[in-house]
Amino acid sequence: MTATPGTLPAPDPRPPAALYLHVPFCVSLCPYCDFVVVAGAATRGPASRVSAFVEALEVELRLRADALDAAFGRPSSGSRPPLASVYLGGGTPSLLPPDDVARLLGLAGSRFGLVGGAEVTLEANPGPDERGDAAALARAGVNRLSLGAQAMEDALLRRLGRRHSPDDVRAAVAEARAGGIASVSVDLLYDVPGQSLEAWQATLEGALELGVDHVSAYALTLDDPDAEGLTGPLGDHLPTRAGARRWREAAVREQDEDRASAQYRLAVARLAAAGFRGYEISNWARPGHESRHNLAYWRRLPHEAVGPGAHAFDGAVRRWNAARLDGYLAALSAASPSLPPGGSEAVHRAAAASEQAILGLRLDEGLGLGPASTEGSLLAPHLDWALDSGLLERFAGPAGEPRVRLTTDGRLLSNEIFARLV
Amino acid sequence: MSSAIPQVRLRNFSIIAHIDHGKTTLSDRLLELTHTIEARQMTSQVLDSMDLEKEKGITIKARAVRLEYTANDGLLYGLNLIDTPGHVDFSYEVSRSLQACDGAILVVDAAQGIEAQTLANVHLALREGLTIIPVLNKIDLPSAQPNVVLEELEAVLAIPREEVILASAKEGTGVPEILEAIVARVPPPKGSPEAPLRALVFDSHYDPYKGVVCYIRLAEGTLHDHDAIRLMASGAEAELLEVGFFRPQLVPVKTLRAGDVGYVATGFKNVREAQVGDTVTTVATPAAEPLPGYQEAKSLVFAGLYPVAGPDYPLLRDALEKLHLNDASFTFEPESSVALGFGFRCGFLGLLHMEIVQERLEREFDLDLIASAPSVEYHVNLIGNREPVVVDNPARFPDVGEIDSIEEPWVKLGVVTPDRYIGSLMELTTNRRGTFLTMEYLDPQRVHMHFELPLAELIVDYYDQLKTRTQGYASMEYEEAGYRAANLVKLDVLVNNEPVDALSLIVHRDRAQATGRALTTQLRKLIPRQMFEVPIQAAIGSHVVARETLAAMRKNVLAKCYGGDITRKRKLLEKQKEGKQRMKRVGSVEIPQEAFLAILRMDEG
Repeated sequence: MTATPGTLPAPDPRPPAALYLHVPFCVSLCPYCDFVVVAGAATRGPASRVSAFVEALEVELRLRADALDAAFGRPSSGSRPPLASVYLGGGTPSLLPPDDVARLLGLAGSRFGLVGGAEVTLEANPGPDERGDAAALARAGVNRLSLGAQAMEDALLRRLGRRHSPDDVRAAVAEARAGGIASVSVDLLYDVPGQSLEAWQATLEGALELGVDHVSAYALTLDDPDAEGLTGPLGDHLPTRAGARRWREAAVREQDEDRASAQYRLAVARLAAAGFRGYEISNWARPGHESRHNLAYWRRLPHEAVGPGAHAFDGAVRRWNAARLDGYLAALSAASPSLPPGGSEAVHRAAAASEQAILGLRLDEGLGLGPASTEGSLLAPHLDWALDSGLLERFAGPAGEPRVRLTTDGRLLSNEIFARLV
Repeated sequence: MSSAIPQVRLRNFSIIAHIDHGKTTLSDRLLELTHTIEARQMTSQVLDSMDLEKEKGITIKARAVRLEYTANDGLLYGLNLIDTPGHVDFSYEVSRSLQACDGAILVVDAAQGIEAQTLANVHLALREGLTIIPVLNKIDLPSAQPNVVLEELEAVLAIPREEVILASAKEGTGVPEILEAIVARVPPPKGSPEAPLRALVFDSHYDPYKGVVCYIRLAEGTLHDHDAIRLMASGAEAELLEVGFFRPQLVPVKTLRAGDVGYVATGFKNVREAQVGDTVTTVATPAAEPLPGYQEAKSLVFAGLYPVAGPDYPLLRDALEKLHLNDASFTFEPESSVALGFGFRCGFLGLLHMEIVQERLEREFDLDLIASAPSVEYHVNLIGNREPVVVDNPARFPDVGEIDSIEEPWVKLGVVTPDRYIGSLMELTTNRRGTFLTMEYLDPQRVHMHFELPLAELIVDYYDQLKTRTQGYASMEYEEAGYRAANLVKLDVLVNNEPVDALSLIVHRDRAQATGRALTTQLRKLIPRQMFEVPIQAAIGSHVVARETLAAMRKNVLAKCYGGDITRKRKLLEKQKEGKQRMKRVGSVEIPQEAFLAILRMDEG
């Protein structure tokens, strides 16, 4: 019996369903992080570039909206549905003054449209001087907070170069609830050097005690964007600092695949017992608290993106802004502003088919086995192999249709399947 | 270009030197000073034209160039420089080049002194009856100690110090004196231009337009550009397309005469029709006797070369044939392996030669190759009155029950080293079944040590170990020393309970277990985890002597995958996929290229 993924949507440009805003400021840099981040004087003090950046971000939002108006008509017109989600990521967007957040969200609403009850997420660090005023953020329109907790153990937080304590995480969640934030998520890290299975269990318990709605648990990943060639002038990553490089080289030697596997399995069991659904390889939610914005990525829905290093997708082309802040500000702060430097890549049909299969398999809703497209049938032998190896399982979808999804073993070894599907 | 320089004003010479003693820099200076190449066209290492030669800083192939030099006596001389390779693997090529010369410039580094290859090359040159012009190079270096080295030359090689020219090829000092010495000391070639043509082929390369281009030295006679020629050994005949000199690019002339060094473009499609060592004569007035030729290059190290992707086999065959046109010193014949499929058994002059051939095949022909562990050629005497067999592939070893006795090749090894490393080198060599013979002091700090050693022990990273243990100060050369009986066994490797014939080794019985342990440990590190547990065993016959277990892969997951990651992660996955495609699937296990050379890396721990 052959497993064949369903047919593809036509690769024509479509209007975005989601909007991402990248805010690249942090108080300090964490050595393992390879997101586009600047810190120090750029973030705080007299030389801060935050307000210049917010103005530039508004300019980019307008320019992107102009282009969408031209291509698809005004927001909420028949061919231009409003956004279902907005996501302020970083960096540490909770460092932005709430007024700026309100202005950005207002602009997003007027130029892109927002559905009623749209999900509006803001990423925050838990430290007292960086988590922001939850009540003010809620008034600005934020209804979901994603907290970079990472661990619930002091020693481990220090090892990771974090500025906060477990108590700060507790305070941040309490303030969010008191301020009226409807959905709270925490990020946690496993496969961290020096982190035993017991320590990981303590972190999971600590997070559950907070009564959060959503948990993202990530294996510490120490890729090298320089080696991948992503850090050039038009690249979407910044060069790795020497200190961070040394930290990563040392940390990688202390990572342990067997321990990481046990930690992941523990998370799967513990979070399920607490009523969370593992709806994606690294994401668990109480029912109704799944991240709508991130689901848009995994379902290959078109999304707009602004800010340095941000990636957008219109259903046919993946486009990104260059990571470097100077070039970004220069283009958008000019007397006659232009779109910032960056790059793009058309996703050809075969790549689209493999993307769809890979992203779909990250989710517990899995992959529908519909009538074969040419590209889809090329993937079929690999899905059969994964079924035989116990990495995939069959199940019936909501309408009784045949689908496949990863088993827990399959999630842990998902690259073995994905590398066959690309 | 004047080809009419009389024979009395021709000089044929080569430069012999230890690696890094400045042979290439001196060649560059000679080319410059004789205006063979104008300074503005001068790139360094003119004669090393292969990328690999420039990268590794070594000369792999012999090359020739004709210099025209107006000497202090006001007369124009034709100087033919025949370049020689510098690495110990290629001493065979050196002796070939020297046979085309009447003199040799011996370059010795004024800071380093005499090295093992210096001695070996001087002995080769003296055996050919060449006039030696000793040059002490790099006298500009602060660490130069000319007096010590001059004494060394006098004591060890009986070279009077007044004959030695002090030079710095880098700065150009002493180079005019060297040119004058070539004119004054090297005898002109002999041989009558009126006699029937006899020209020795000392090298060749294949050119797609000119066919096989033979590098020749005319011993007697005269060759015109449209003569019909015959190769006396192969019998092949050709209407010449072109004759000429090397400047160093090929420059056609009308005539080559006795004593000249030049080339003939034969139009042959197959280098076998004009083998190195053959004699060229004319069809019209053939010579009666060929010149004494060369001994054939002898392969000492053997390994299987296999395409990673089975369907590339015809491409590999094609690539080997083409490469062989330019490097006739390796051999190849088809073989097959249970583990690796169809490939070729290749013979090499040494381990460096093997690396170079593999690298050239991969680079110049865009192939992904797997080399099996290198082996030497064993003589196996069988039980009963049967003919002994010659085996260069452990996988083809006769069954233990069939074997009466085994003989393996030995070498005489010469090492020149600062005397503080004597103990360490004794240990290194005796640990590898070597025996120490004698040693003599070259100067108060440096000794020339003599060992005998099984060749099989030498080819497994002996040279690297020698360099490591002496911080690069020691040098070595070796020559064959016949076959000796040995207590050897075949060690098989099983991966996931399947024998992998390409990993089999021949080892001394006393060291079989230790080697088995080291090999399985190394393989456990080199083979990536699979989706199931994989036992790795070493066995003699059915007796397992070592076992390691490669744990199953537990985790291979991209933890994060959001908007910005999708393109990047797809590329990372594509890389993983390419990595897998470069591995060889043996049974259900994917084994990377480097695992097949694990035997060479066991000392890395």
